[in-house]
Amino acid sequence: MTAVDHNAIELPPRISEAEVSDYIALLKPRVMSLVIFTALVGLAIAPGHFHPVLAFTSLLCIAVGAGASGALNMALEGDIDALMSRTANRPIPRGRITRSEALAFGLTLSFFSVMTLGILVNWYAGALLAFTIFFYVVIYTMVLKRWTAQNIVIGGASGALPPVVAWVAATGSISVEPLLLFLIIFFWTPPHFWALALFRSDDYARAGVPMLPVVAGPDATRLQILLYTIVLVAVAVAPWPLGYFDAVYGIASLVLGAGMMVCAVEVYRRRERTESLRATRKMFAFSILYLFALFSTLLIEVVVRAVTPLVW
Amino acid sequence: MASLMTDQGPPDGIVLTEAQKKSRRQRSIAIALALGVLVVLFFAVTLVKGPAVLVRPM
Repeated sequence: MTAVDHNAIELPPRISEAEVSDYIALLKPRVMSLVIFTALVGLAIAPGHFHPVLAFTSLLCIAVGAGASGALNMALEGDIDALMSRTANRPIPRGRITRSEALAFGLTLSFFSVMTLGILVNWYAGALLAFTIFFYVVIYTMVLKRWTAQNIVIGGASGALPPVVAWVAATGSISVEPLLLFLIIFFWTPPHFWALALFRSDDYARAGVPMLPVVAGPDATRLQILLYTIVLVAVAVAPWPLGYFDAVYGIASLVLGAGMMVCAVEVYRRRERTESLRATRKMFAFSILYLFALFSTLLIEVVVRAVTPLVW
Repeated sequence: MASLMTDQGPPDGIVLTEAQKKSRRQRSIAIALALGVLVVLFFAVTLVKGPAVLVRPM
């Protein structure tokens, strides 16, 4: 009996066939690109001169830190990823990379990104990056995700922090402007992810993830999307009358905000299955465009000011 | 000695397949490149900061 048991546990060692592309997939490149972009805006609007090499170093560290968070998230969510069609093709459910390999990869990148940002740029930014990774991995992934329907509301804070980290990297301090960017992304997250959750609710239900459409139903989710969109549009426009960002930004945020409101109202009104699906997909796609265009306005303004100082 | 070894048949232990060798080589190159980037980054920042490299906030 003992001999049988002994033989049963003596499995041949697993030799990895994971390719570099599998490890890149662990970094969630699409999420990473949005993080890089929002962090770039945080750097761009920061006052004073920031050497390009240090700016590049900061962006690289923030990007790697975001990728590390993604890898750790996948390491911890391998079981539910396998149950959802959207995530079933990720490297862990496909068996390309084991959870422990992803964990080691994520922890290594987290360590290097935080330490490099701290040593080469400043320790305030390094500490904030460490907090961002901690918040995403521990607070969101390990605690909130499987526990409450407010998971992406609270967890959205981690996705909203990159422009703040970038600002702190550039200035060594905190100010109102990066906090405004934080608030915009924070209030953008719920309507964006709940739109996704509405047309993927079967996936989330199968995996046992308590997303709002699964727990409270689609109608309650539609109302929450509408309410959060109203708050988002107000928060996004507010920096203009408050005097932090100028009229170009203000007009852009009003126009884009009107687009978001139209999408949110459509999501709220359309209850029939096919129409509802179309409205939620449209909301999801437009919300990405909204954030990208809103932040692009700030970036373009900085570039225009830099090249035409006399006009401005 | 070499002939003695070849007479002993296939070597003990794990023999990697071609796919495993290829992916391991790819991963090794990626790690080398990442370390290279890290070295270049530290060198470049040292040049940019000059003597101030030793003065860090906090």
